[in-house]
Amino acid sequence: MKKVVSLVQLKAGNKAKVSDILGGGNLESKLMNMGIYKGKEVSKLSHIGLRGPVVIRVGRTILALGHGIAEKIIVEA
Amino acid sequence: MIKKIYLVGNPNVGKSVVFSRLTGVHVVSSNYPGTTVGFTKGFLQLGDSRVEVLDLPGVYSLESTSSAEEVTLSLLKEHPKDEIIVINIIDSTNLERNLLLTLQLIEEGFPVIASLNMCDDAGHRGVNIHYQRLEELLNIPIIPTCAVTGVGIKLLIERMQEVGVKSRVKLNHEERWKEIGRIIEEVQHLEHRHHSLREILEDASVRPLTGLLMAAGVIYASFKVVRFIGESIISRITDPLFFNFYQPILEKMVLGWQEDGFWFHLLIGDLINGKIDFKQSLGILTTAPYIEFGMVLPYIVSFYFILSLLEDIGYLPRLAILLDNLLHRLGLHGFAVIPLMLGFGCNVPGILSTRVLESKRERFIASTLISIGIPCVPLQAMIFGLLGKFGGFYVSGVYAVLFSLVIILGVILNRLLKGYSPEFILEIPPYRFPPLTVLFKKLYFRIKGFIIEAVPIVLIGVLFINIFLYFKLFDFVTGIFAPVVTGLFGLPKEAVVSLAIGFFRKDVAVGMLMPLNLTAKQLFIAATLLAASFPCVATFVVLWKELGVKYLIKATLVMILVSIIAGTFLNFVILR
Repeated sequence: MKKVVSLVQLKAGNKAKVSDILGGGNLESKLMNMGIYKGKEVSKLSHIGLRGPVVIRVGRTILALGHGIAEKIIVEA
Repeated sequence: MIKKIYLVGNPNVGKSVVFSRLTGVHVVSSNYPGTTVGFTKGFLQLGDSRVEVLDLPGVYSLESTSSAEEVTLSLLKEHPKDEIIVINIIDSTNLERNLLLTLQLIEEGFPVIASLNMCDDAGHRGVNIHYQRLEELLNIPIIPTCAVTGVGIKLLIERMQEVGVKSRVKLNHEERWKEIGRIIEEVQHLEHRHHSLREILEDASVRPLTGLLMAAGVIYASFKVVRFIGESIISRITDPLFFNFYQPILEKMVLGWQEDGFWFHLLIGDLINGKIDFKQSLGILTTAPYIEFGMVLPYIVSFYFILSLLEDIGYLPRLAILLDNLLHRLGLHGFAVIPLMLGFGCNVPGILSTRVLESKRERFIASTLISIGIPCVPLQAMIFGLLGKFGGFYVSGVYAVLFSLVIILGVILNRLLKGYSPEFILEIPPYRFPPLTVLFKKLYFRIKGFIIEAVPIVLIGVLFINIFLYFKLFDFVTGIFAPVVTGLFGLPKEAVVSLAIGFFRKDVAVGMLMPLNLTAKQLFIAATLLAASFPCVATFVVLWKELGVKYLIKATLVMILVSIIAGTFLNFVILR
């Protein structure tokens, strides 16, 4: 069964496919420009606790996303 | 006829390094996105003509999602397309993401030549690129380069002749990513490699527990090494030069001069027990050069050595991840750690680099916090020099007070100011180990910059201070502010002069305290006040330019308020 969670909830060390990006078109195109879009596979490297940023790998890029942004990226694990 | 050449590319792909190679103009480059916040111009000899080359800030796309992208697009459209060349710098280790911008540039009809930079690093990481096939697929010249060592630059210049406007179907975002996927499939071959030590360290530094341990270690070690190198330069090089070489010569020269004459006062200052005392005489030939070359310069060398090393390795963005949490409470986000770190060298570049932050609110908070709580190297060096003899407790005390001020003030500003602290999307670069020559070149330019900017100001400043002192012109100011300085801060009234000079240069200001024989407590308070109160005039001008008059006044009021409260509090409560 497929699980739909946000990047914050996804466990570190897991891979998942982006299924939705909540929030405005501005965020969506910003992420799009950095290679994060619906259907793209990302892997979560770590999460700094207490509402800290989430670190992911997309392709060969490592990105740190603020907690608020990571919450808006929905993935299918 | 080519009029302009633009360097365009994603952040942190080495545009500035390629720029330096092409034009011979040195620009500061680092291993984190956003080092270039303005435009740098240079010239390149292309055939018979000298063409202007522009190094642009990094962008991820040509769509205007950020101000850097808007500016880039409008600059590219300034001249007709057949009169420009766009050099698209690409990070070979990260071809996929970089190709988005490349495709957009070609689709928009710009004449593009691509430099696949850091090709050596790609090799190390097991990324093999079929350059010829990529050239066929994109229909533009592709040149593998390694700008740090200069590989490929000559070919890049030669092949600029081949550049032309190509037509390519305009795609929407999703189609473009699909197209990129197809291209990557064909031209990129990844070798499977075992995790190298470098990759293990890269991963460890972004995980919570290991990351924090590494951060604590790196910060502690940096501080220790900066002090060690600084002190070694002082005790082994500069002090012997001043005391064993310069002082005897100077004393012979002034033998038989009238000790109370105007010129003697100006050049040599006061003799202490019949001898020149570099720390107390206050002359243009004595204390002025001693402050700059004997006390500050050694720390400029050691600080920028360590900072440049951390910058080039690519450690700072990792610190940004770990501090994002804390900085959020102050109305900033993790990336603000870079302006803060640069501010430790000199507040001016620190405040300039707040341009990487998106909103005016953030830039105001960051700039104010830098001016108040981040002491620059000249000030820190003087604090080491003066407070050091009372023990490490006092030195770290100053840092602890300033650090608390930053936190308290940040929390207050975050609450008071309208708006919210935005979230960041930050690319974390891989660790890179540039050749030592590159590091030393950067260090050389930073030291040269310091000498050119600081030394003349210090000499002229000490000249004026001496004239003022000779004609007793400070007495008026001292009279007005004495009640505050003695009553609230517990300092002797002569310290007013030093605090006033703090507006002009912090190191000279602390230097003015040297003849006053202050107690440890008084020095502690004076040093904290000098750090927290008015920034020096150079910082003031930058604040003005970057924030505008209204915010400058706001920031200034905050600074005055904070320093009065902090000074009084330290005097009556903490250090009673």
